[in-house]
Amino acid sequence: MNTVLFLLLAFPLTGALILALTGRFLSQRAVQTVACASVIAAFILALTAFLLSGHSAQTVNLGLWFAAGSFHVDIDLYYDSLSALMTLIVTFVSSLVHIYSTAYMRAEGDNVRYFCFLNLFVFAMLVIATAGNLVFIYLGWEIVGLCSYSLIGFWYSKPGTADAGRKAFIATRLADVAFGTAIALCWTDLNQLSVAGINDGASSLSSGTAAMIGFLLLFAAIGKSAQLPLSIWLPDAMAGPTPVSALIHAATMVTAGVYLLMRFFPVIQCSQTVLLAISLVGVMTVCFGAFSALVQRDIKRILAYSTISQVGYMFLALGAQDLAGSMFHLITHAFFKALLFLGAGCIIKALHEEHDIFRMSGLRKRLPLMFWLFMAGTLSLGAFPLTGGFFSKDRILLSVFLQPDIHFRILWVIASIAAMITPLYAFRMFFVIFYGKPEADSNKNAPIQDLMTITLWPLAILSIFAGFINFPLNWGGSLWLDGFLQTIPGAAAETHPSSQLEWTMQAGFALMTLTMVILAWVLYSREQESDELSGTPMTEAFQRFFLNGFYLDHFYQERIVIPYRNLSVFLWKKVDEGLIDDGLDRKAVFFMKLAERLRLWTTGQISDYVSFLVAGFVMILGCLTALWWFK
Amino acid sequence: MSIPFAHMLFLATLLFVMGAVCAMTRRNLIMILIGVEIMLNASGIAFVAGSMRWQEFQGQVMTLFVMTAAAAEIAVALALIVCVQRRTGSINANRYNLLKG
Amino acid sequence: MTFFDIIFYITASVVVSSTALAITRKNAVHAVCFIVISFMGTAILFYLLGAPLLAALEVIIYAGGIMVLFVFVIMMTKMEKPPVVKSSLSSQWIPAVILGSTCIIMAGILVFSDSGKWLSPPAVTGTPKDFGIVLFQDYWLAVEIASFLLLMAMIGALYLGRRKAYDPPEEKIQEKNVI
Repeated sequence: MNTVLFLLLAFPLTGALILALTGRFLSQRAVQTVACASVIAAFILALTAFLLSGHSAQTVNLGLWFAAGSFHVDIDLYYDSLSALMTLIVTFVSSLVHIYSTAYMRAEGDNVRYFCFLNLFVFAMLVIATAGNLVFIYLGWEIVGLCSYSLIGFWYSKPGTADAGRKAFIATRLADVAFGTAIALCWTDLNQLSVAGINDGASSLSSGTAAMIGFLLLFAAIGKSAQLPLSIWLPDAMAGPTPVSALIHAATMVTAGVYLLMRFFPVIQCSQTVLLAISLVGVMTVCFGAFSALVQRDIKRILAYSTISQVGYMFLALGAQDLAGSMFHLITHAFFKALLFLGAGCIIKALHEEHDIFRMSGLRKRLPLMFWLFMAGTLSLGAFPLTGGFFSKDRILLSVFLQPDIHFRILWVIASIAAMITPLYAFRMFFVIFYGKPEADSNKNAPIQDLMTITLWPLAILSIFAGFINFPLNWGGSLWLDGFLQTIPGAAAETHPSSQLEWTMQAGFALMTLTMVILAWVLYSREQESDELSGTPMTEAFQRFFLNGFYLDHFYQERIVIPYRNLSVFLWKKVDEGLIDDGLDRKAVFFMKLAERLRLWTTGQISDYVSFLVAGFVMILGCLTALWWFK
Repeated sequence: MSIPFAHMLFLATLLFVMGAVCAMTRRNLIMILIGVEIMLNASGIAFVAGSMRWQEFQGQVMTLFVMTAAAAEIAVALALIVCVQRRTGSINANRYNLLKG
Repeated sequence: MTFFDIIFYITASVVVSSTALAITRKNAVHAVCFIVISFMGTAILFYLLGAPLLAALEVIIYAGGIMVLFVFVIMMTKMEKPPVVKSSLSSQWIPAVILGSTCIIMAGILVFSDSGKWLSPPAVTGTPKDFGIVLFQDYWLAVEIASFLLLMAMIGALYLGRRKAYDPPEEKIQEKNVI
């Protein structure tokens, strides 16, 4: 078991190292082979570890990382059922994305850099999933951010791409400060950093400290998962290659924040305030993402806002103390969002880098295979009854509804409204792309490579059927996921709803979704001429508001970036150049002028020097006289 | 003989100042050296008077060393003057202002 | 006022006046002649003050050696006519006179306020034998150092006086170019 876990981490890291050190000497095929092989090996190992491990948690110590006095950090792994699931998802999705990328990136240059960072990303993600102490998690957390930054800016010569990378980097770093502070707090208050130790010691924390750590972890998660105050970076992150968006910015990395909160769930649970804050953040983000996605035109931005929204559901579930429900949604979301992104990548490739959904209309005939695959993803995203997304979202809403606190009822209402929007924007996207009048020059689409579509099949099947891993009781299911996560601290307490309530919820939810699908059909399947924003001025204003992501970017620009830049310019021009530099300049000029005067004294004339000598002598004599005189 | 010690010192001062004035005012290198010699000599007078005043030999010994130093200094200085005169044909101190800042 | 006192004051006035004449001469040879007189007077003063050996040395080294050296150098350097610089009166003499008079006034204040110290007669102090004993017993190290100083001065003077010591460098370069 130890060897398996060690190799699980070692394979992607070795792949990245090989590519980084010798990649430039390898052919493109060799580079792709090395990258895929290492990740597929990691997947096989993750599967092995999953099958080998029982329900109990295992710790593996791979040695000392560094030590300073009593503070020492080990390279240790903590493998429980939560990390088992996470490693499986990460390696599975990344294997598919790697295979997909070999076809996707064949025509692009610089495969070495791409695959190197992708492998490094898989390694770092596995570190986050399995690391046994906070500092080690932090290492993975930062490498993940680095890979995200590098891959967003992969086509750095394109205008705006590097800026998008930098934006993501800065926004996530902001949250990492909170994470670092949380680590420090854990060390000072609990005197340990290991995951198990912190979770065990959570009950001994004072409520204030627990809330403090909880809020800091929440803020860290918000940054990584692009939740509301820091959500601005994710839509811009779509500037990277589409497989990267699928892997990093949809399926895995953005869920790392949720995973972090799950990992330290006992600490989170200590404070009711933190739980409420998490669900509040979640519910606000759900609405924000859903409404913003509703009016976007760029297919990748729709999916990005949808990701923000769906991750919000995971936060909401965590806030409602439903760890298993959150994990359930994480898994189904990883499948259907990876599917949608990879499918979008195919469509974009086929249409020669066309991102605007209104220019794609009528693709049903031209890309029949993509139609069915994309439909699977859309059904799951839109929570169409009996798909994976339906069961996971229903589960979350049910958990929120079951919370005794009155606040959660309000949250439930808002989340349900947002859940109505989700199918609307999902099927809007779907209908606009695949129905409507086909473009006249319909023969121009580039062929989609078989390898790319093949990788979509497993994802499509899992998107539809992922619900079976946690089939609800009223359907005769056994809640396998709940059982599997039983051993995770904090995951247990589950009040089972009555069968009747479950039926009611599901029926209502299904009805709602179907209504919305029909509404979307009515609104969007027709001829789409609405290239421009249309409607009454009122709706137009709303559309513009949503299109710009609630003007959040604008707000940050106006309220934070520009004042900060003004302050910097003030400090630079006035304080540094004006006060410090100029003060020094003036002093220098003064001494220079003084020296110019003093220079005249060195006449080079011997008699003058003798005169100065005598003058000095007279002065000394004068001093002596004065001393003697006044004694 | 009974002369106030002060008179001797005053004589030495007078001579010293005369030497200094000579060194300060003249442009001729040789005259500057003569001024220096006068100053050294004045110091010798002061030392010998002090030796008398305190009935000690130190003052006279010091005068001897002053003379030695003067002789050494003059030998080198005059050699320099000869050298300089050979190179530039002038012993006017005003012409040697290479050290002008 | 004894006979010696009279001799002292006369000698002192001679020394002062001849020095004053010496420093004002335009011709260096004249200046040297007056300086020799001044040094002779100084030798008499030394004798009166009980330092007969120093008096002899003053005559031999200063008046005899150094001043003759001066005369030689004056002969060797063909004296150019000093340029007539009238402006030097203000720029050189005024500060010199101011400094000099200040110095004399302050020294006078210092010197004459120390009243009542009279120099006693030169009883037995300072025969050359006593002087030599003191010099070579107590100050032998200083004598050695002084002799080193003289040696160095001699070497320096010899080096500077060599005819080839200051060949213009251009000539050497030209020779090299020829070769």
